[in-house]
Amino acid sequence: MNEGWLALLQQALGLLFSLDPDVWSIVSVSFSVSFAALGITLLPSMILGFMLAFGRFPGRWFVTNLIQTLQSIPTVVIGLLVYLMLTRMGPLGDLRWLFTQKGMILGQMMICAPVLVAMSQAAFTSVDRRAWETSRTLGASWFRGILTVCRELKVPLLMAIVAGFSRILTEVGCSMMVGGNIADVTRNIPTAIALETSKGDFAQAIALGLVLLILSLVLNFTLGTLRGKAEPRSH
Amino acid sequence: MVKLVANNLEMKFGERHIFSVDRLQLSQGQTIHLQGDNGCGKTTLMKLLAGLISPSRGAITTEGFEPLPWWRSNALLGKAVYLHQHPYLFDGSVEYNLSYPHPFCNMTKQQLSERTQTAIEMAELTHLKNQAASSLSGGEKQRLAIARAWIMQPKLLMLDEPTSNMDRFSQDLVLTMISDLQQLGTGMLISSHQSCVLTSLCNQTWVIENQHIMSSYTANNIPDSADSAPINLQEPRYVIAN
Repeated sequence: MNEGWLALLQQALGLLFSLDPDVWSIVSVSFSVSFAALGITLLPSMILGFMLAFGRFPGRWFVTNLIQTLQSIPTVVIGLLVYLMLTRMGPLGDLRWLFTQKGMILGQMMICAPVLVAMSQAAFTSVDRRAWETSRTLGASWFRGILTVCRELKVPLLMAIVAGFSRILTEVGCSMMVGGNIADVTRNIPTAIALETSKGDFAQAIALGLVLLILSLVLNFTLGTLRGKAEPRSH
Repeated sequence: MVKLVANNLEMKFGERHIFSVDRLQLSQGQTIHLQGDNGCGKTTLMKLLAGLISPSRGAITTEGFEPLPWWRSNALLGKAVYLHQHPYLFDGSVEYNLSYPHPFCNMTKQQLSERTQTAIEMAELTHLKNQAASSLSGGEKQRLAIARAWIMQPKLLMLDEPTSNMDRFSQDLVLTMISDLQQLGTGMLISSHQSCVLTSLCNQTWVIENQHIMSSYTANNIPDSADSAPINLQEPRYVIAN
């Protein structure tokens, strides 16, 4: 049994280090789709998080609770919703995005946005008001003041980005339903792991799993280092 | 000469009336000691004059400043530098904090570099230049914040309880910096509920008492101009300004 495990691990490492085109195509699809979804969602989500933290407008309470709820919706439900929107009969059917990377990006945006908004709202709510006041009284413009506050909150904001990215990079349900798991087109790491495991090709599944594991380790250790350097603020 | 002029100012937090005043003026050349008990509204008044908060009623106008670019909607912000009682230092080194206001100063790179070097020496922080600002003691933080403001050579400066965290050594260093700014014509409002080394520089006093702001001058600083705030050096010592 142990020998079997070792052999599988060796095969998996072989696939990774021999730059197996199938494996790296899957990794490439995964990263390009998830980076695109994160890139498109990031700024609007942060702005909404900022507005929810500092703004006082009608419906703020409702939006805040809606965002919290959306965070906990299973990705297959979001996948179903996006599928129904993109199907020929759906409101976005004319776009013909179903079973394409664009469709996957749309689905991942809907998964990523609530995480980014909720976590950035929490970060902005926790900011020391003096940071904004000091920046402005020293002559910073409104925009420069915001940049200063974001810099002061770089650790919690980076944590929000990492959490959002991790959620979309590892989700299966939405990618499977909207992407269709088409080789070299919409097959990403989680859908490929599910497929290869069901076929009994554990080596490729382990190789892809290792990519996710290594990425997760790198991201978390980087965040841990940043968090360690950030000292608690006192008067 | 630049000045901030507050007219018919009233401040409330909800139903709580903090203070009101008919007219107040903070201009270059003045050094004012702002007195009052805890919770009377000293910090609120300073934040109002700095443009960080808005009054419940009345208006604060500026005179003598350069016209603002069209995108700056708040005419007050950045006119008078306000230093918190517990100053906020940005995440980064002492040097980073001193260089933060550089882009907002009307000085050449050479001048800024020289003033920064002088400031760090005046505040006796040279050996801590590369240290994280968060690792400084309370007094060192105050010195750094005042040095940061000194570099800017502001036309108006407001110091909120500046000596509250300081030992005698730090107070003397700060006194040197503040005296220097005073000689350069910076108008200053210094809040302190008791006398300290900095209040000895003051030539005028504002007292917040019973929700009113009262103004008085020290004996050797009687204003000449007819449009100055009403004063009375006889008893009662203070004139209610509203």
